[in-house]
Amino acid sequence: MSFDYNMILRYYPELLGGAWVAVWITALSLACASMIGAVVCIGKLQKHGAANRLATAYIDLFRSIPEIVLIIWVFYCLPLLFDIGIGRYSSAIIALSAYGGAYMAEIFRAGVQAVPRGQVEAANALGIPVFHIARRVVVPPAIRRMMPALVNFLTELLKATSLLALIGVSELTYVASTLGSKTFAYMEFYTAIAVLYFMIIFPLSVYARRAERRRLRRTGN
Amino acid sequence: MTRAGTMAGLANRWGFHAVLLALGALMLANLNWPLVQSFEFVFIWEYRIALLKGFGITLLLTVEAGVVGVVFGTLFAIGSQSAYSPLRWLVGAYVEVFRNTPLLVQLLWIHFALPLVTGINTTALVSGIIGIGLQAAAYYTEIMRAGIQAVPRGQVEAAHALGLPAWTRWTRVVLPPAIRTVIPALLNQNISFFKATAIVGLGLLVGDFFTAALRVSNDTFHFLEPLTFAAAVYLVLGWQAGRWTLRLERRLSRGER
Repeated sequence: MSFDYNMILRYYPELLGGAWVAVWITALSLACASMIGAVVCIGKLQKHGAANRLATAYIDLFRSIPEIVLIIWVFYCLPLLFDIGIGRYSSAIIALSAYGGAYMAEIFRAGVQAVPRGQVEAANALGIPVFHIARRVVVPPAIRRMMPALVNFLTELLKATSLLALIGVSELTYVASTLGSKTFAYMEFYTAIAVLYFMIIFPLSVYARRAERRRLRRTGN
Repeated sequence: MTRAGTMAGLANRWGFHAVLLALGALMLANLNWPLVQSFEFVFIWEYRIALLKGFGITLLLTVEAGVVGVVFGTLFAIGSQSAYSPLRWLVGAYVEVFRNTPLLVQLLWIHFALPLVTGINTTALVSGIIGIGLQAAAYYTEIMRAGIQAVPRGQVEAAHALGLPAWTRWTRVVLPPAIRTVIPALLNQNISFFKATAIVGLGLLVGDFFTAALRVSNDTFHFLEPLTFAAAVYLVLGWQAGRWTLRLERRLSRGER
């Protein structure tokens, strides 16, 4: 066995391009997932009624279906079902956003529910408008509280982008597979992308763990 | 403002319903009705043997992830408590590498790159079994480590003070309560691996349940029925398993009090 560094040196622009695709798809999906998650979270926070049931159904649905099944389903079935053309990239982002929305809703909910009720009630008693309460009383501590979980989910989403290789989105894993089958240097390329993924994901998960431990030490819950 | 004092007050009840109804109507109006009318679920029955075989592989991989994960996870977690620091670092590095890279990349590496190192070619199924086993061991190590650290220090110290040999200390004092506290976490993790078997299947073409469904699609040129059926099976099983785990978790936490 020999590890041919020249392969990586020759093809590193392609690999970095793949990493860039993975990163921007993650960013875009996270943004869409946050929006879906916010809406679903508001529904879930209702004590009862249709909104709560729908939000619960959404969360259960997209948390129970494997990500890869969702990605393939959106890629093959959604265009057929609505008779529209959806590209690889769009269907990837739709699938990841729908999947992420369910997790983001639960993360948001945990954050909002961690806000002491007394503070919200005090703000209410002072006659502060509801929207203002949400913006100034609920959201800041909720964001601090949910940062570790959010970053943790970001790592999950980054790992999930590797699955997009299976529908032909030219992100990191796909680039390595095609380069591997072209040059037979599987060893080099798969090792290179494993290292690249690790370099992107590891700092995030270290941050998430540290932040969580810090929060636990400070608040104890 | 409805029910003062909750974020829920933000969502205007009727506005919310109106938006939902509009979305639903929009979706229904844009559905490809001729296609919906031509749905034929008979394919699923025709290919039932292939699908069942695939499901067997999915179950095999799920159970294997659980068994390998618990056995090796426990061993590695014990290693992570060792006084010998290189062993601790080795376990730590192993866990970090397998938790911070995508499963698909690990599987591809094991299937395509590992044979170049070892000189032994593995079939797709064997590569899948190795890959999901390695990742399961890493995830279960973290869970078992949390369980071991949750055992009250006094009990471990008492075992030391009584001069119990290491084997007795681990098997009789530390591991039983440690495993009991992490049973729900272990089960939840195994549900995740049940979902991950689809990655093994499609990434290496192992012929699991989802790959079988996709093959039915390719055979019959009907994509919606088999794929939706597969998604529904994963949904129902995963959801039900999650509910059982939650119920077990509640019962266990009641038992502790």
